Amino acid sequence: MSDAYTDGAAADNSTIERFLNDHTLKRVGAAIAGAFTLAVGVLLYFIIDFANPDLFVRIIPRFLEAFVLVLGIVAGGSILSIPLGIFVGLGRVSKTRFTNAISTGYVEFFRGTPLLFQLIVIYYGIPALWIQNFGDFPISNWAIPAAIIGLMLNHGAYVGEAIRGGIGAVPEGQMEAARSLGMSYVQAMREVILPQAWRNALAAIGNDQVILVKDTSLLTVIAVPELISEFRQVNSATFDPWTPIILVAILYLCITIPLGKFVRYLEARSDWGGGDRR
Amino acid sequence: MSDHSLLEFDNIDKYYGDTHVLKEVSLEVDEQDVCVVIGPSGSGKSTLLRCANRLEEIQAGEIRLDGTALTHPDADINVLRQRIGMVFQSFNLFPHKTAIENVTLAPQKVKGIDDEIAYEEGMSILEDVGMGDHADAYPNQLSGGQQQRIAIARALAMDPRVMLFDEVTSALDPELVGEVLEVMRALAEEGMTMMVVTHEMGFARGVGDKIVLMADGKVVETGEPKAFFENPQTDRAKQFLSRML
Ligand SMILES: Nc1ncnc2c1ncn2[C@@H]1O[C@H](COP(=O)(O)OP(=O)(O)OP(=O)(O)O)[C@@H](O)[C@H]1O
Ligand SMILES: [Mg+2]
Repeated sequence: MSDAYTDGAAADNSTIERFLNDHTLKRVGAAIAGAFTLAVGVLLYFIIDFANPDLFVRIIPRFLEAFVLVLGIVAGGSILSIPLGIFVGLGRVSKTRFTNAISTGYVEFFRGTPLLFQLIVIYYGIPALWIQNFGDFPISNWAIPAAIIGLMLNHGAYVGEAIRGGIGAVPEGQMEAARSLGMSYVQAMREVILPQAWRNALAAIGNDQVILVKDTSLLTVIAVPELISEFRQVNSATFDPWTPIILVAILYLCITIPLGKFVRYLEARSDWGGGDRR
Repeated sequence: MSDHSLLEFDNIDKYYGDTHVLKEVSLEVDEQDVCVVIGPSGSGKSTLLRCANRLEEIQAGEIRLDGTALTHPDADINVLRQRIGMVFQSFNLFPHKTAIENVTLAPQKVKGIDDEIAYEEGMSILEDVGMGDHADAYPNQLSGGQQQRIAIARALAMDPRVMLFDEVTSALDPELVGEVLEVMRALAEEGMTMMVVTHEMGFARGVGDKIVLMADGKVVETGEPKAFFENPQTDRAKQFLSRML
């Protein structure tokens, strides 16, 4: 029995090895990449053939307007979600029971329910409560603040978890060294732990902020005139999906690609002398 | 002379859960003395040092620095810790700060010392430990011996009354041990009060003013180096020395 097993395993191994040698792998990779390029090329050809240049030029202004709005909402949500996330992360590692429980509950709720649901709660739910208790809702264009608040609260939870992980990855000796020099817990956190936790969490936070950009597409549901809303309007008026699709794609990538580059720049900047840390 | 030692452990008990780790330990370190703590692994040497810095809490007894009970619940721990420098086996340098920044951080943030003054004092301490040329290097660009010397400089920058060393050469390659011990020897000669946990018997004998042997959470024997090494009194000490030497 055991002989048969070892023989089988050996045979398996050699088949895999024969297939997985560098040469074959290289060729397979190139073939797949080639097929992919061909498919995309054909698709692009059809799309460009389909697209209407006149329409394209005509819809640029309204899409740019939506783009600026998305940029503003992203900036607002992003800038607010990061300090919020830092506090949430600190709460998650806090030894104070109450603080820890509240931040844990917060993270569980905002990661455990869909962003779309949260947006609906804020956009429809909050004004209804307000009107019942205090009369007229004072904010006339509630969609945009609601969007920023929703993105901030949702991504604050994700940033918080990234920060918590980043703090957890800092060796315990760092806190001990800082405290043994007479620093208070807060000083040690600020000067020693958080800069390292931030560096550890940067990749995860960067990923999350790219997701935040893409999450703005959900805002179409709460009547924010963002890129998808514009697409739907243009498409239903012209029955031409591809011309606006091209614009939408370009404009999203105009945010996400530089954002990714910026995160990599931040990572490279906190290299601390290079080499293997710890 | 005052009627008390600079650092006094008075009948302290320390438990980790149900484990009794320090058992009625009493110990005195006089001003300008080097007290070397030796003993087998797990005997509680690190715990003893960590209690002196309140990185661990004791359950009974008292630890006094210059007559002040630092284990008292009302003691201002952040102030007391400034007077007790600690150097760790694993260096624990701040990786995001250069050598000089490691040294100046606590004086600036804790004592509120001017940036310029902190820098000048920091540079002079770095030069004392032979690291003046590496002030702008990050820890991960330096060898273990160099990092440990910066860690010593970092603790010295707070101008402590006592320095605690917990097996500070144990994580080093053998050829780097000497440079760190040399810095400690110089520090002892300048009159720094030191409590040193080490397995370096040559250092204990040459630099120590007092040897403390710990076993199973107790102080088993205390003596002057010459007497301790040449004529140990207890069986435990004889047994330990026969294995070490
Ligand atoms: N955080 C902890 N929780 C529970 N037990 C601990 C903890 N730290 C240490 N101990 C136990 O306390 C005892 C003393 O440990 P300590 O580290 O002080 O010994 P040591 O003399 O420094 O040993 P070594 O020479 O190996 O460093 C050991 O039995 C150890 O297992
Ligand atoms: Mg130890």
